[in-house]
Parts: sequence; structure tokens; C-alpha cells
Amino acid sequence: MSGMLLRIGVFAWVGLLVALPVMTLVGAGLRGGPAALWAAVTEPAALDAIGLSLGTAAVATLVNSVVGTAIAWVLVRWDVPGRRLIAALVDLPLAIPTLVAGVLIVALFGPQTALGSALIAAGMPVAFSKAGIVLALLFVTLPFCVRAVEPVLEELDPAEEEAAYTLGASPLVTLVRVLLPPILPAVAAGAVQTFARSVAEFGSLAAVSGNIPHQTLVAPVYILGEVEAGNPGGAAAVSLVLLALALFLQPLAGALARRAGSAHG
Amino acid sequence: MLALLLLACSSDPAPVAEGAGGARTLTLAAYTTPREAYGKAILPAFAAAWKTKTGETVTFEESYQGSGAQARAVKEGFEADVVALSLDPDVAVLEEAGLITHDWRSGAHGGMVSRSLAVIAVRSGNPRGIADWSDLSREGVAVLTPNVRTSGGAMWNVLAIWGAGLRGFSGVTAGDEAGATGLLRGVLSRVTVMDKGARESIVNFEKGVGDAAITYENEVLVARKGGVAMDYVVPPSTILIENPVVVVDRYAEKHGNQDLAKAFVEFLHSAEAQKAFAEYGLRPVDETLTPPGLPTPTEAFTVRDLGGWAAIKAKVFDKGGVYDQAGPAAP
Repeated sequence: MSGMLLRIGVFAWVGLLVALPVMTLVGAGLRGGPAALWAAVTEPAALDAIGLSLGTAAVATLVNSVVGTAIAWVLVRWDVPGRRLIAALVDLPLAIPTLVAGVLIVALFGPQTALGSALIAAGMPVAFSKAGIVLALLFVTLPFCVRAVEPVLEELDPAEEEAAYTLGASPLVTLVRVLLPPILPAVAAGAVQTFARSVAEFGSLAAVSGNIPHQTLVAPVYILGEVEAGNPGGAAAVSLVLLALALFLQPLAGALARRAGSAHG
Repeated sequence: MLALLLLACSSDPAPVAEGAGGARTLTLAAYTTPREAYGKAILPAFAAAWKTKTGETVTFEESYQGSGAQARAVKEGFEADVVALSLDPDVAVLEEAGLITHDWRSGAHGGMVSRSLAVIAVRSGNPRGIADWSDLSREGVAVLTPNVRTSGGAMWNVLAIWGAGLRGFSGVTAGDEAGATGLLRGVLSRVTVMDKGARESIVNFEKGVGDAAITYENEVLVARKGGVAMDYVVPPSTILIENPVVVVDRYAEKHGNQDLAKAFVEFLHSAEAQKAFAEYGLRPVDETLTPPGLPTPTEAFTVRDLGGWAAIKAKVFDKGGVYDQAGPAAP
């Protein structure tokens, strides 16, 4: 009886907390009809904003998948002082407001610092440019791949790697044939999470991107602009695109994570 | 719900003193710029004047946020007795919603309580030698201006440039719309950061970003008051910014506050309130009270000179309008 009540309670809670707002969003996006939705999504500024979000998210995902896997390997296999510090630092981005991350990047790479002004003089500005967007995303999503790969690596027996070495395999062959295959689903799951989070990121990018349409305006900041400009339909349309992407990516991440779990469960 | 959130954000009402005439609460929904002028000078002065006149103690519920967001909050149920907004179209939103029913534009000073000018903030000593809007389109000049989608106030900047061109300044022949749009395009092509709001924009400029920032005179004067070294240039032709304060009839009636709200708006036109606005960098609508020493442009035109808000908003800011033609293009 109490089990039944708990189940009903869980359904109601998730329904009210998540499903209801999502349905409202879908309703708002479709209110003007499919033609209006299509027009709002294919608006050049909207398309460019979505494209920029997907592009910068892809770059951040690629980098953090490789670097995150390397960090996970170091954390698992490298038992020396400093390991715990790195472990703590990796999780830090989850604990600070992402807006702060954006402000910090501007403070570090803005024209008032020697580093910032040198980069600007060299024609490679970081603050308010696409590079700044990627950097902010790298910061914000750093933990995802590390934390996805780490538990799987812990399950792996270092003896397998050592055996490969002993049998004369080079480090590269060891990496590709011994280490990677079992952890690949975990890397992929982390990558999907990283990508989904990057596309949705708002706080840091509102501060660090130049917000110039067609150039440095990402989709979440574009959505804010449409809300503020009294165009909820346009905002809802682009939100729907991000939502559709999330609905596709979340189960994918879950499936990959389960595969990673079952491969070495 | 939204109203509750907003109320939670507004400052706590002061303890109510029991006077002969009892206590009343007036809710003010304002944009952010005049926050100090209201909070530190005008509201206490009005409360004192009202107490002397009626014996009633007035406390204020104050909420400050961007003008457009504030208008939407009031429209969606934040029951403010009085709104102080950045520009006429944000008040029009409340008229369309049926919340404001009186003809506020026929009031004193056309319903406006303060003014400012669209100006160009430059580095100390004006090293780039910027004197006019057209100088902002020069190669290598990095310009800041807020995004018109997120900052209603940024519309003032766009209209200042386009209007100056249309009126025969900044190297454009009077009446040449294509030339005026070209002037605007030239300036917008030099914009490196479009911040969400006017304040963020000037803060970024203070941090060293950009060579020039298109902003309002009061933003520069307030920054200077805070000790920031910054110069500003008033172009020969620029727009006269006018900020309305209006009683929200529906909510004031509901709260039984019509008399109080009306008296408050009238008080804003008094010399005392006008001087307070001037002290915080805004220009008074009562021109006799304009602080001496402020620069004067060759001409300061108004939105009425460009054909009024309704026409100009459609022409310049609607889809495919002047701003879309001049704004950042797809690469």
C-alpha cells in the first residue's frame, strides 16, 4: 500500500516539476502553428545562434572527452600526493555559478590584463570571441567525462595493461587495443553529457560572449533576447529545438552509460 | 507568483509609524537607472512632504529591473501603483493591457519626469579623436552598445545615430534614409560586444573593453561620480531621451491609492525632485534646473521629431526594418 502511494507520489512530483513546464513550452512553441514555428527557427539569427551553440559544444566535447579521459586515468592509476587536489579541482566547476566562470574568463583575458591585451594585439582575442565561448564550455563541463570514465577505469585490472606491455605492445597499441575498448561506452556517455550541457549553457556565455547576432550570439542568450523583446513565440521555438536535442541525447547518454556499466559491471 | 518573487526582491518596507492619519504603502516599479535618485533622495522627500500635508505615513515597496522586464512584470500581475520606465513604448504595453487608462501623455511635461542624451563615452583625453557618430565607423575603432533585443534602452542609441543622419548630420544629407541606414550600418559594424543591458555595457567599458561606448549621459556621470576616469562626447545631433512615470490606474484603484499615486507623480515634477534627478546624472524636464556646465549639442531631437514611437518602432525595429538592414549581417 505504502509502495503504491510512493509510486503515485513520484509520478506526481516528476510530472509537476518537469513534465508540466516542458508541456507548457511545447504548447507555447506550437501555439502559432507549424508554419510560424518553422519561420521562427529558420530566422537567420536563430539558425546562426543554434549553429554556433552546436559548433562550440562539439569542439568543447571533443577536447573534454580526450582530456577528461586522460585526467580520469591519472586520477585512477597515479597514486601520488596532488591527486586529491586535482580530484577536488575537477569538481569545482559544478560548485560555482557558471556566471562567475564567465566573469573570471573576461577578467583574465580582457584588455586590462597583459595576457589579454597581448592576445588581442596578436589578433586572437579570447574574451567576447568564439574562443572565449569554447573556453567557458571547457571549464563548465570539465567534470562530466572525468566522472563518467573514472568508475569504469577503477574496475579495470591494471594487470591487463601491464601484460600488454610485457608482451611487447607499444603504449599506443596498449591504449587503442587494451585500454580504450572497455571504457569507450563510458567516454561516449560522458561526451554526450558534455555536449548536452554545453548546448544549454547560459550563465558563463552571457558574460563571456560578445552576443553579436550571427557572430558570437549563442542559442540560450538568443532565447533571452526574444523573451526580453516580447517575442515569446520565437523564444519558445528555439527552446523547442534545444529541448528536442536534449530528449534525443539524454536517453543516448543513459544507454551508453548502461553499456559501460554492463561491460565491466 | 511572479509578483510574489518581485516583492521578495524589493526592499523591505520600513517599520510603520502610527501617525494621526495612519499608514499607507505605495508600490513603485522602476527601471534601474534612477534607483539611487529615488531611494536616497526622492522617496524620503515625498514621504516627508506627504506626512506634513496629510499626517499619513507613506512607506514604499520598490522594485528595480530593466524597463522592458519591469513592464512585463506589471502586465503579468505585479501590482505596482506607479511605474517609472525608460521609454514610452514600455508604458504603452500597460496601456494595451488595459492597466493604464488615463491619457498620461497630456500630463505635465508630456508625462516625462527626467531626460538624458545619447552620447559617446570615450577614454580619458579622447585618444581616438571621436567627435561624431560617423567617427565610430572608422577602421579599428571598437565600439560597445547593448543588444536592442535585451535592452529596450539600446533603442535610444540606434535612433540617435539613424535620426542624426536623417536630419542631415554626421555626413548624411537631410532626408536621405539610405544614407542614414548606411551611417548606422557603419557604426554597428564596429561593435565588438553587445551586452544585455546599458549598465553591463558601461561596466565592460570601465574594465577597458573597447575604444568607445554608445550610452546615456547619466551613465557616464554616475560612473564619474563613482571615481571612474572617463570622458564623453556629445555628437552635434543626438536624441533627447525622455523617461516617463505613470500611475497604473487599475492597481492604484484596487489599492485605494489613486490620490497618493497621483500626488507622487506630481511631486516628481517639483523643483526638489527635479534637482535630485540632476544630482544623479539625469537632466531635469524643468530646463531652468539643468545643472550648469553640461555640454549642449547643436540639436537634440526627440522621437516625436522622427514621427513618434508607434511609427518609428515599426519602421526601425520590426522584422526587416532599418535595424535589420543595418545590423550585424550573416557572415
